[in-house]
Amino acid sequence: MNNQTLNIQKDLLRQPSTIALVGNPNTGKSTIFNALTGLRQKIANYPGITVERKMGTTIINGVLHKVIDLPGAYSLNHKKADERITYETLIGSFDHEEKPDMLLMVVDASNLERNLFLASQVMDLQIPMLMVLTMSDIADERGIQIQSQQLSDTWGVPVISINARTKQCDTQIKQALIEQGVATPKPFQWKPSTPLRQAVERLDKEWLSKHTQLPERARPIEALRLLAEGSLEDSFYQYSEEGKAKKLIEELQNFLEDQGENPTAAEVVQRYRFIGDSSESSVTKEVREQQTWTDRLDNVLTHRVAGPVTFILVLLIMFQSIFSWATPFMDMIDMLFIELGAFVGNQLPAGLLNSLLVDGVIAGLGGVVIFLPQIIFLFLFIYFLEGTGYMARAAFVMDGFMTKVGLHGRSVVPLMSGFACAIPGIMATRTIENWRDRLITIMVLPFMACSARLPVYAVMIAAFVPDNRVIGFLTLQGVVFFGLYLFGILMAVGSAAVMKRIFPTGKPTPFLMELPPYKWPNVSSVVIQSLERGKIFVTEAGKIIVAISIVLWFLASFPTYDPTGSDLAAVDANEQMSEQMLSTLQLNQSYAGTFGQWIEPAIEPLGFDWKIGIGLLTSFAAREVMVGTLNTIYSIEETEEQLGLIERLRSEKDPETGLPKYTLATALSLMIFFAIAMQCMSTLAIVKRETNSWKWPLVMFGYMTVLAYFSAWITYEWANAFLLG
Amino acid sequence: MIIPLTTTKIGEQVRVSCLNCTSEDTCRLQELGCVEGATGTVVSNQKNIILQVGECRLAITHPLAMNILVEPVSKKK
Repeated sequence: MNNQTLNIQKDLLRQPSTIALVGNPNTGKSTIFNALTGLRQKIANYPGITVERKMGTTIINGVLHKVIDLPGAYSLNHKKADERITYETLIGSFDHEEKPDMLLMVVDASNLERNLFLASQVMDLQIPMLMVLTMSDIADERGIQIQSQQLSDTWGVPVISINARTKQCDTQIKQALIEQGVATPKPFQWKPSTPLRQAVERLDKEWLSKHTQLPERARPIEALRLLAEGSLEDSFYQYSEEGKAKKLIEELQNFLEDQGENPTAAEVVQRYRFIGDSSESSVTKEVREQQTWTDRLDNVLTHRVAGPVTFILVLLIMFQSIFSWATPFMDMIDMLFIELGAFVGNQLPAGLLNSLLVDGVIAGLGGVVIFLPQIIFLFLFIYFLEGTGYMARAAFVMDGFMTKVGLHGRSVVPLMSGFACAIPGIMATRTIENWRDRLITIMVLPFMACSARLPVYAVMIAAFVPDNRVIGFLTLQGVVFFGLYLFGILMAVGSAAVMKRIFPTGKPTPFLMELPPYKWPNVSSVVIQSLERGKIFVTEAGKIIVAISIVLWFLASFPTYDPTGSDLAAVDANEQMSEQMLSTLQLNQSYAGTFGQWIEPAIEPLGFDWKIGIGLLTSFAAREVMVGTLNTIYSIEETEEQLGLIERLRSEKDPETGLPKYTLATALSLMIFFAIAMQCMSTLAIVKRETNSWKWPLVMFGYMTVLAYFSAWITYEWANAFLLG
Repeated sequence: MIIPLTTTKIGEQVRVSCLNCTSEDTCRLQELGCVEGATGTVVSNQKNIILQVGECRLAITHPLAMNILVEPVSKKK
């Protein structure tokens, strides 16, 4: 084999530099990133796309360095947006990322050959690197022994072996960087055949060097890609003289075929051949016949029947835990913000500023922070399961069913999280690789009946659905309640099936996924990643939510109601003017009130009056606000709360006919409206963040509102005709 | 004898002889180590297939597996 002297560079670390982590997915790359940077991370979308940029800092020998965690890739043949970012960053031509000064090439020791494929491509780019072997414990378990020194001699870069699940993995890496340094690998160590080499050189010389801006060291990789694909169609670049290129590529492909090589597979086959041959000297493998842990677990977890059953059980435990663990924290946050509002309200003189701070800013902030417990708990579960290797199996066993309804195996967990709250669910769609599948999952996720719809359902059902027994212990109220949940699921599945037909690039990606070996995840990495998700929600969606809260506060508070004049006289004449009455009058004649009256003709066919109209506007802050708003409109003292509201709703009479104003038809119509409509600004804010544009939240709001309107209308007409007629 | 991957049995050792799928899927399979000539073991075949190639365990759906043609190396143990 090569047995070369290493071109070691140790001085690179004396000054601040940029270190990039490169490697296959599931190699422990993120764990190393989390260990190196801790909470000194910054995660944001790259401009214009939805791939996340993970940047952080670390201190090595007293010098502060930047660390970039590049998206995981299996090769540099950039088929997908995230692989393209890795490729472009490495060749230094990506505008939104710094060119790395050195690389940590993360290689899974338990799956060496597959990982060395990417490594050998990256090495062709000649960037100083340290090769980091991870998962040595799994390799041990499988009887794989790797001689790091041999590997280092073969590839001409220093190699260290670490256990990414121990706490000290960052110290090990820092020490290796100081003591062993990094080395620039030589290109073409994998010894391509003469014809392939000639073809690459010709394509480079006759076309790439003349018509592209690619740096010299990146041109062979691009040439290999073009020779394998044989077309420029998937190219991310605008090349000049494409016609000439096409002719040349075709000519070179024919040349390769004449030389007995398959142009599509030549690079892959030759790289793997070299890796396989070179591994013989550096890797020893005991032949073990007995089943590993992974085999035994997979026998159950990927079983056609046991697999889905286990998955449903895991989900049940997960959501029950999230629900019961998050609720006390949410109650605490709720109380804290109420207390804070009361405190600030008492400290400041009554007036506009007081109202803005208490009802606008503090209420808005409270509305943001309240989601944190659910988000953090969900992500603790997701990252934990992801770390164990189970998530890939879950996606695999659910893929058949999910594909039938237009989704993807990986859509299951986000969709089920939607039952708790759409926001963490939408954030969790990041695990879906294909953009179209991810977008459809995001777009239908808000149909899942989230916990904020519960109060509205509860009030409406209690007020208007009779508590008759249907079968056994089932009551009509229970059936309607269950029906609303089922309705949400059916809406999501139906919409996904429709969207599957609408959205372009409908070429289905057949499920092909690596199933990583089962392992115990690194707990601190799981915690750090979950906290980062919480931080992203508060800082990015939070801004939008607080802003909309202030707008809604303004709409409900202006024009200010002046309690003098005829209204006051009228009220005074009847009863003592209470604070509650004041806020009712204020809301009624505010912009929100005017809005309610203004849209009344439009919502009348649904059986709604202007009072519900106000609720529709204010509940945009959060669905459960609907109940609070109706309380305010009906001037119900807080102590009476729900029961009071139910009584008021039931006894509300139409002033002209004297008949009950709200009927079962109204209640059904309103519940259907709430089941469908996009009445949640926090969801829209997170959709904006996750799709990186305002287009999708607006489309979502539009289609869901239209759908809600017509469904509610049909429900109202149907209920009037058949249930009450 | 060359057969589609879907017709193999659990535990069977196979050699990949032809990837008869779209160039994009071929490319993804190759990157994951499923190259023509590679040998692997069928870990599971319940419509969808799990194929162990080297140290890499690949989950492959039925439609894709139908287009992966393999040659059995030895019968089920």
